Amino acid sequence: MLSLGWNVHGQNNPVTRDTTRRLAEVTVNAAAKKRIENDLKMTVSVDEYLASASNISFIKRGAYAWEPLLNNMSSERSTITIDGMHVFGACTDKMDPITSYVESNNLAAIDIKSGQEGNLHGATVAGSIDLKRRNTAFGLQKKIGGAYQTGFEFNNKQTFNLGNLYYSSDKFVADGSIAFRKAGNYYDGNDDEVRHSQYNKFNASLGLAYKTSPLSAVRVDAIFDRAKDVGFPALPMDLSLSRAIITSAAYKQLFEEGLVKVWDTKVYFNAVEHYMDDTTRPENLVHMDMPGWSTTYGLLSKINLQKDRYSSEIQVNAYDNLSIAEMRMYPQDRSKQTMFAYSWPWVTTRFASVAMNNALDLSDISRLVFGGSLGLNYNYSKYVEFNWIFHPGSPQKKNRFLPSLHASYQLNIGQFDFSLGTGFGHRAPSVSEAYGYYIYNSFDRYDYIGNPDLKNEVSYEANASAGFKTGKLSIGAKANYFFIQDYIIGRILSLGSPMNYQSVGVKGYTSLDHATLFNLALNAQYQILPGLDWKAVLTYARGQDNMGGNLPFIRPLSYQTSLHYRYKMIGVQTSMNGDFSQVNFSPEYGEDQTASYKIWNVSADYTFTIGKLNAVFQVGAENLFNEYYSTYADWGNIPRMGRNIFTSLKINF
Amino acid sequence: MRDLFIKKVVFYSAIISFLLIACTKEKTDYEAERGNTVAENTEFKEVTSLVSSGYSIRIEALGGVLYRGYNDIRVIINKQQNNEPVAVSSVKLLPVQTNVQGMKIVCPHQSEMDYTLDGRYFSGYSVFTDESSAAVNWSLEIDFTVGGQTFTATQHVTVKPQVNKNRNLTTFTGKDGEQYLIALIAPWKPTVSENKLVAGIYKLDAAQLSYTTVNGYTLQLDPRMPEPSMGNHSSPNNKDLVQQADGLYHGVVNYTMTGNWTLNFILVNQNGRVIAGTEVPKDFTPGVEGRKSELYIDILF
Repeated sequence: MLSLGWNVHGQNNPVTRDTTRRLAEVTVNAAAKKRIENDLKMTVSVDEYLASASNISFIKRGAYAWEPLLNNMSSERSTITIDGMHVFGACTDKMDPITSYVESNNLAAIDIKSGQEGNLHGATVAGSIDLKRRNTAFGLQKKIGGAYQTGFEFNNKQTFNLGNLYYSSDKFVADGSIAFRKAGNYYDGNDDEVRHSQYNKFNASLGLAYKTSPLSAVRVDAIFDRAKDVGFPALPMDLSLSRAIITSAAYKQLFEEGLVKVWDTKVYFNAVEHYMDDTTRPENLVHMDMPGWSTTYGLLSKINLQKDRYSSEIQVNAYDNLSIAEMRMYPQDRSKQTMFAYSWPWVTTRFASVAMNNALDLSDISRLVFGGSLGLNYNYSKYVEFNWIFHPGSPQKKNRFLPSLHASYQLNIGQFDFSLGTGFGHRAPSVSEAYGYYIYNSFDRYDYIGNPDLKNEVSYEANASAGFKTGKLSIGAKANYFFIQDYIIGRILSLGSPMNYQSVGVKGYTSLDHATLFNLALNAQYQILPGLDWKAVLTYARGQDNMGGNLPFIRPLSYQTSLHYRYKMIGVQTSMNGDFSQVNFSPEYGEDQTASYKIWNVSADYTFTIGKLNAVFQVGAENLFNEYYSTYADWGNIPRMGRNIFTSLKINF
Repeated sequence: MRDLFIKKVVFYSAIISFLLIACTKEKTDYEAERGNTVAENTEFKEVTSLVSSGYSIRIEALGGVLYRGYNDIRVIINKQQNNEPVAVSSVKLLPVQTNVQGMKIVCPHQSEMDYTLDGRYFSGYSVFTDESSAAVNWSLEIDFTVGGQTFTATQHVTVKPQVNKNRNLTTFTGKDGEQYLIALIAPWKPTVSENKLVAGIYKLDAAQLSYTTVNGYTLQLDPRMPEPSMGNHSSPNNKDLVQQADGLYHGVVNYTMTGNWTLNFILVNQNGRVIAGTEVPKDFTPGVEGRKSELYIDILF
C-alpha cells in the first residue's frame, strides 16, 4: 500500500500519451496517487504517515512536529521540499520541520528518494523528501467533490476536523482544504500525564488552476499554517505561535511532438515565523524570548524529455533564503538591561543548481538510471561579528560548489528484480552548522556554535536491492552504504562557556574525518487468503565515526508487522512494531541506552453509505497494552504515548 | 475575458498573501539595540574658553562635557582680536584637582599635546579621577608657546559623573603599597563581537602628587556576565592587555551578548608579581551571581 522511495520506474516515466492530449492535471505525477494513510489508521498526521516508510525515523521532542530522519541522517542532510519548493524552518531548535507546515488532507503523496537520486531539488546526502500537494484534474465527470474527516483520540483528547473540496471544469480547477487539530497533554504507559505535550494546529490551502490552451495551464497555490500553544515536553520552552505562508505560481506547457514533452516552471515565496515561549515554565531561571523568521524566494523550472527508450528530466532550481533568530534574556530584575544576541545573525543562503536525471532502457529487462547535478551555494552573514567571536577572521561571504553524480543498473528477470547503484555528492553546511550561535540542544545539553569555515560534506554511497514476487508473495531487501567524508557533527569546545543556563558546555560544529552509515531493510508481503494480507518490515542500521565510535540517532534493529483482513464492508487490521534494545548507542553525543519495546495496535473499520454519500467509520487502539516506553530518538527520554483509543469518520462526497 | 479572470485571481491571491505575511512580532532593530545604553557623543564641542595674553583659548571635549574617567581633549588657540589662527609651536596640558584641604593632585593625562594639521587643533587626554563637588575642584592649566614665548593660562572646569560604564575607572592600593588607577578608554560603544580593549594604567607618585604611566605591566583579563541567570558566563578568545608604543594597554575582549559584563583583572608587574586582583571561578554556576576579582570594572551595553 505504501511504496515510498526507490520507485524510479514510475518517476522517470512521467509522460504518457493520455496526459499529453487531455492535460488531466497541472502536475503530471505518474506515481499512482497513494492516499495519505498508514496501515492502521485512515486519518493520520503527516508524521504518522511518514513513519510507515522503512527508511524514515523520527526525532521526537513531543507529540507534534517530529523531525524526519532519512536513512538515519538528520534533516540537514536531506532536502525536504513541498512540490519541489524549498521551505526552511524558523526555529534554531528544529521545532518546526517542514513537514509540520502541511496537513495530510492537502497532500496527495510523499515522494522519498534515497541518496543522490534525490538531487533533483538540491544538494543532498541522505536523499529527498518531496511533499506532493493535491492537484485535481481538469474536466472531471463529477464537477464538485470532496471529503470530510472528523475524529477523536482519547489519550490526549485530540479532536480533528479536516475538510477538502474541489471544483473541476474543463478550463478551471479549484482545490481547497481546511484542517483543525487540537490536543491536550498525552498520558504515558504508566498513565502519568506528560505535561507540555498539547498542541493546536490550523491549516488551510487553496489552489486555482486555469487552462490557458489545450496544452498549457497556470496554477496558483497557497498554504497557510498556524500552530499555537504547542508544548515540547523535552525542551525547556514551548511554542506560542508559528505561522507559515507558502505560495507559488506555476506555468505548465505540454508538447505533443518532439523530444520535449513537458515544461513546468514555478516561482514561489514562503515566509515562516516561529515564536518560542517559556512563560508556561515558571521553573525556568531565566525568561527568554527566542523568535525566529525564515523567508524564501525561489524558482524552479523543469523539462521532461522522452525519445524511444530514453527519458530524462532536467531541472533548474534557485532560491534565496534569509534566516533570522534572536535570543533575548531577561534578568531577574526586569527593570535592568536585557541581554541580547542573534542565534542566526541574519544569514542569507542563495542556491542555484542544474540537475539532470536520465533513464535508459537497455533491453526489455534492464535499465540504466543515471544523473548528476551541479549546485552553487552562497552564504552571507550580516552580523558576522557574532561568528568572529569563536572563529576570528572567518569570511562574511562564502561560495561553495556542490556536485552530485549517481548511476544505477536495474535488472528484472522473471519474478526477480535486482538493482545496483552508486552515488557521489556534496552538501553545504546548514545555517546552524555554519553560522549558529549558542543554539541550545536539550538532548546533550550543550550550546552549539557554528563554523563558517566548515568543509563541504562529501558522500560516497553504494546501494543494492533484490526482490522476488509472485501473485501472493513478495519479498525484498534493500541496502545502502554511505561513506561520508568531513562528516559535520558537534564536538566539545575547550573555550567559551555556556550561555543558556540549562547547558553544561559549549560544542562547536566540526568535521569528522569521515563517518560511515549502513542501512538495511527487509520486507515481505503475503496474501494468506483472499482478503487476508500479511506484511512485515525489518530494518537494521549502523553508523560509525572515523574512530569506530557510534554515531547518534541510529535506529536500533526494528520491525513492523501487520495483518489485514477485509470482508465486504468490514476491515480489521492489527499491527505490531518495536525496536530491539539499542546496543550501539553513543554516550559521547548525549545518548544513553534505550531498552527494547513492543507496541501492539488494532483497528476496525466499516464502510457504508448515507444516501449518495460514501462513508467509513473506524475505531482502534494504539499501544493496546499500554506499554511504557521511549525510543532511541526521543529527546530527553520523554515517554511515548500510552494506550490511545481512536475513532474517526470519513465522508466522501 | 480569460486574461481578466487570471488578473483577478492573481490580484486576490496577492492581497491574501500580503495580509498573511505581515509578521506578528517585530524584529529587533540591532543598530538601535547596541546604542541603547550609550548616548551618541561623537562630536567635539566647546567645554569652555578663555582669553589670555591676547589669545583666545578654546577647550573642547566630546559633547562639550568633561566626565569622570578618560576624556579626549582638544585645544584651539587663536588671536583674540580677529580670531585668526596663530602659529603655536607647543601646548602643554596640566589637569589639577584641588581638594577641600587645598591639596593639589595632578590626574593622569597627556602633557605634550599633539598638533593635528587638518583640524588646526592640539589634542590630548585627561583621566579625571573624581567628579566635581563641593570638596573637589578641577582646573586645566595650559602652557602654550608662540614665537618662542611661553604663556600660561588656567581655567576652572566642571567634571560630571560618568554616564558610560565603558569609560569606568577604578583606583586601588597594590600589594606593593602603591596607589594605582586603571581607566577604560575603548571601546566607547562595544558590540557583540571581538572588541579592542584599551585601558590606561597609572600610579600615584606620592612625592610629586601626580599620576604617572605604569610601564611594562600586564593586565590579565577574564570577562564574565555577573547576572545570576547567566551562571558566570564568559567568552572565548580574549587577550590580556599589554602596553604598546602609545603608553596605553591594549587587549581584546569578546562580548557574546549585550547586557552587564564584569571585566575581572589581575595586574601583574614586569617581574610577574601580582600587584592586585584575584582569580575568579571558571565554573558555570546557573543561579549564582558571578564572583568578581578583587580588581574589576563593570561595563554595560
